[in-house]
Amino acid sequence: MEIRKFVFKRLIEIFVIFFVILTVLFLLFRLAPGDPVTRMVDPTMTPEDAAHLIAQLGLDQPIWLQYIYYLKNFFTGNFGISFHYGVAVLSIILNRLPNTILLFSTSIVLSAFAGIFLGKIASWHKGKKIDTWMTLGALICHTLFLPWLALIMIWIFGFHVGWFPLNGMITPEIWLDSSSGFWLKFLDIAHHMVLPLATLFLIHFGSYLLLMRSSMLDTLKEDYILTARAKGLTEKVIRNHHAAPNAALPVVTSVGISLAFSLSGGALTETVFSWPGIGRELVFAVSNSDYPLAQASFLLIATVVLISNLVVDVLYAYLDPRIKY
Amino acid sequence: MTENGSIQISNGNKKTPKKFPMVERFLEGWSVYKENLIGKIGLTLLIIFALMALCSFFPPMIDPMYHPMTGVDPLISHSTSPSWRHWLGTDFIGRDIFCQLLAGARIAFMVGISAAFMSILLGTAIGMIAGYSRKIVDTLLMRLADMIMVMPTLLVVLILSSLFGQLNIWTIVLLIALFRWPGVSRVIRAQTLSLKERPFIEAAKVAGASHFRIIFRHIMPNVLPLSLLYMTFRVTSAIIIEAALAFLGFGDPSTVSWGMMLQWVWKTGHMFQAPYWLLPPGICISLLTLSFYMLGRAMEEVLDPRLRKEVAQE
Repeated sequence: MEIRKFVFKRLIEIFVIFFVILTVLFLLFRLAPGDPVTRMVDPTMTPEDAAHLIAQLGLDQPIWLQYIYYLKNFFTGNFGISFHYGVAVLSIILNRLPNTILLFSTSIVLSAFAGIFLGKIASWHKGKKIDTWMTLGALICHTLFLPWLALIMIWIFGFHVGWFPLNGMITPEIWLDSSSGFWLKFLDIAHHMVLPLATLFLIHFGSYLLLMRSSMLDTLKEDYILTARAKGLTEKVIRNHHAAPNAALPVVTSVGISLAFSLSGGALTETVFSWPGIGRELVFAVSNSDYPLAQASFLLIATVVLISNLVVDVLYAYLDPRIKY
Repeated sequence: MTENGSIQISNGNKKTPKKFPMVERFLEGWSVYKENLIGKIGLTLLIIFALMALCSFFPPMIDPMYHPMTGVDPLISHSTSPSWRHWLGTDFIGRDIFCQLLAGARIAFMVGISAAFMSILLGTAIGMIAGYSRKIVDTLLMRLADMIMVMPTLLVVLILSSLFGQLNIWTIVLLIALFRWPGVSRVIRAQTLSLKERPFIEAAKVAGASHFRIIFRHIMPNVLPLSLLYMTFRVTSAIIIEAALAFLGFGDPSTVSWGMMLQWVWKTGHMFQAPYWLLPPGICISLLTLSFYMLGRAMEEVLDPRLRKEVAQE
């Protein structure tokens, strides 16, 4: 019951934040120099089509009415027509969303688990060589410049060694061939995903490792660890069942806090690897002055951040029964 | 200024002995810092990069072809590998990569430190005000902080640059500062909340000090070390955001930054042919952010005695 109330409270908070973001974006698009009509209506459209779109978006109305139209259009999923693709923005971003979620969630989950696991080992061997090397390695991985790492990955593993494709998400020949089955397609995507995944993984696991290590060192000083030792439990049991689950909690929080940062990184990775996701679409739209697409991709990314924050909060409540809301 | 002056007059003879604890505290901190390997590596790297930034003024004086932006070697019109004439080779129109690298160090320091300084200023002020005032002001400021915190800064700046056209380097710095304060203000607020309950604040209140005076004369000196620590981490993120922006092609076209060098390498298709051009800017960005990060971690140990004891045990 408690947790349901908490989720409800967070949902309302998220809704308010989202509403503010929506409003700020609306104002920005109207305040920016230039005519909002040129921003939403493709200059190459026929006059009739343009007039129809203007009426649909309410661009000929006073500003307060435009805002109402904007909200109505948003909740009915009408984001306008992309300048570049010439089709409804909604269909484009809905097409890209699964790709982003696939890459993003896989990398976050993998790097969090690896960080927690390796941080546990590092803290257990504190002060020894293995700890020093792990900490240093994590520090270096954490501060590598992401787009550069991506380029280096492509250069080494895509170009020189040639193990993985240079970019993209699928091999068109395999997908166009009707005889190729599910597993072949699955393997094809996995093959394309290795490099972007490795890039995101290397950037993220370092910070989780460092956090897990220091959190674990704090936890090991707690009284209940002493109690566990006094009971005569083995070191392995103490480490894996008593210390680690508690020490992992701050890591979960940090995953939530660093989500916005990770999504920026995700956009960079998608762009360099030509991974057809929302982040790449946003960068692409901004480069081409495709305003309707840019606006919608940005809103979608903001939604993803907010929802993942909620997921992390709920996860935290689930993992730590001591928390009372 | 007058407030400062009156204090110096009222306890003028106390001023000199009062200065010493500060120096002593610094020396004590330094002696802890000196023992820290990570701190030493970070500081050494930082000094090297600072020297690079300083040296960036010299090459254009030697020969105009060494100017990082406009200098083109008259004999070269494509990318060439390292030689005596060009230590790191040249880019696609014959500009010297080594000189661009030096100039990039200057831009990185400029962007990193000014953006971090502004965001710390904002974050500390907002954190102190929120922590001190509580009630509705606190709630409003912290909700605002939450809202900005969930925004991916890089993508926000991208959207703004699509709306307002090419941003110049100072606008980028300002935008980074405006979106990177919430983390700092949260920490400062927590610190202020605990400071507020201490007797010396109570004493200052009884003595009739105004809220403004309590915040800036009594609370600020106590949260400043923490702000300084966060500044090192903010420098890191500011440098990364600017570099990423330049890499995507939305940097200031009148400056040479490391991110922009990477963009040139990538967009002109020299990625696979010119490792002498691909490697240096990326290594520099990574090492500079690493050195600030190491500096921060070492400072953390100086400021937090709990962490320090751990080190002493080793």
